Amino acid sequence: MRKRRILLVDDEASITRALAMYLTENGDCEVCVENKGSRALAAARSFKPDLIFLDIVMPDADGGALAAEIQGDPVLKGTPIVFLTALVSRRETGGTTMTIGGYPFLAKPVHPETVLASIGEHARERA
Amino acid sequence: MAAAVGASILWPDALIDQEILAGGLALIPALLLAHYRGWPLVTVLLGVGLVALVIMHLSPLYFGAALRGPFLILFVVAPYISIALGAGWFGEVRRYQAELRATQLQLIQSEKLDSIGRMAAGVAHEVKNPLMMILTGIKVLAKRVPATDEQTRLLLHDMEEAVERADRIIGGLLNYSRDRDLDLASADLNDTIERSTMLVKHDLENAHITLVSNPAPGLPKLLLDEFKMQQVFVNLVTNAIHAIERDGEIRITTSLEKMTRAARSGHRMADRFSPGERVVVVRIEDSGPGIPEEYLVKIFDPFFSTKPTGRGTGLGLSVSQQIVEMHGGAIDVGNRETGGARVTVTLKVDREGAPS
Repeated sequence: MRKRRILLVDDEASITRALAMYLTENGDCEVCVENKGSRALAAARSFKPDLIFLDIVMPDADGGALAAEIQGDPVLKGTPIVFLTALVSRRETGGTTMTIGGYPFLAKPVHPETVLASIGEHARERA
Repeated sequence: MAAAVGASILWPDALIDQEILAGGLALIPALLLAHYRGWPLVTVLLGVGLVALVIMHLSPLYFGAALRGPFLILFVVAPYISIALGAGWFGEVRRYQAELRATQLQLIQSEKLDSIGRMAAGVAHEVKNPLMMILTGIKVLAKRVPATDEQTRLLLHDMEEAVERADRIIGGLLNYSRDRDLDLASADLNDTIERSTMLVKHDLENAHITLVSNPAPGLPKLLLDEFKMQQVFVNLVTNAIHAIERDGEIRITTSLEKMTRAARSGHRMADRFSPGERVVVVRIEDSGPGIPEEYLVKIFDPFFSTKPTGRGTGLGLSVSQQIVEMHGGAIDVGNRETGGARVTVTLKVDREGAPS
């Protein structure tokens, strides 16, 4: 089985760099990073990810709108998306399943183990 | 009567009219008392009474013996009535002054919390991102550090704890800035408390603390935001656990009561409850060391904490107070006469829209 392709979209380069390092070293993942929200759609078309982690608040793009664009794209339609957000606290998400706009989300600061678990749960399986 | 007896002993009949002297003697201490207590209206009334007695004594021709008796009764009794009325009136004024001051303090506190909320909303996003970077970096390094390098692993563990602590503080701050609407539903407060205590069951067991519940049977249902009220009781019981530290007892009692004037004079009670109003009262008492008196006035201030660094954010009681007040209730903290602290949560039964 090939490595799962993960696209990280977040304007915080330090987060994506550290997370990419963790996922590459500790998960069976191939990671692509995009720090410009406005270039995320192009990056996704090019990378064809199995899962996209998408920041909601970015200076040049709105994560919610971007998710809608991705789902409306004929190539990317159906690509799983998990929001990463600092808008809610981890305690609020608790053990319950919570979604924003129908997408699951992880509250920052999120443990990278949780990100890995989320990949296991949501990433598209491809032979 | 006592004044009349005193007058007859001090002055023979021939020298002075004893009835008038008795009235005068009764008036003088009352006049001094009214003047000393700062009751101008009563002082003036008594002064007028005293002057009238002097005039009666000096001008007996104008006040016949038939009139003297009723007049004297009037002048002896009237001051006492005046004092009683005046004391009551001034008592009311003072109570209103105290209530006004409590309301002003509450307003200041409310504005302070609003400011914190606005600040928290702005800062939280900026702080959570670097926290996530640090946390992820710690985890990357932790995977690379050999298992034998215990010191480095301990260092990374401490760093992770620090990140967790900062996140808790930010999370607590965010409670001020949003979600001020309540998701109200009819609920049994005893059930809410029971569910809350289940959440701290392990903490109680670990600290060898016995929880004694005395739920009042047949409490009327209240309109509550169940989740938020659970947060309140978890906070309060957790505080009690931290106060006891180990081996002790926490007692939770609920009761249906009518608000009395005395109870209403407590912190923040006056402007929320009317005398005679039906309330459900929750008392959480612990066998800890109690709270030093000097801390009681600032115990609801955000970031005020008596706990060791890292154990409390200093926001638990502030958040609890905010939630209870959003429900139209009040929360008060004090010490028990027998030792330990007591937190009292008072909630209205007959709130607008409450189930009958």
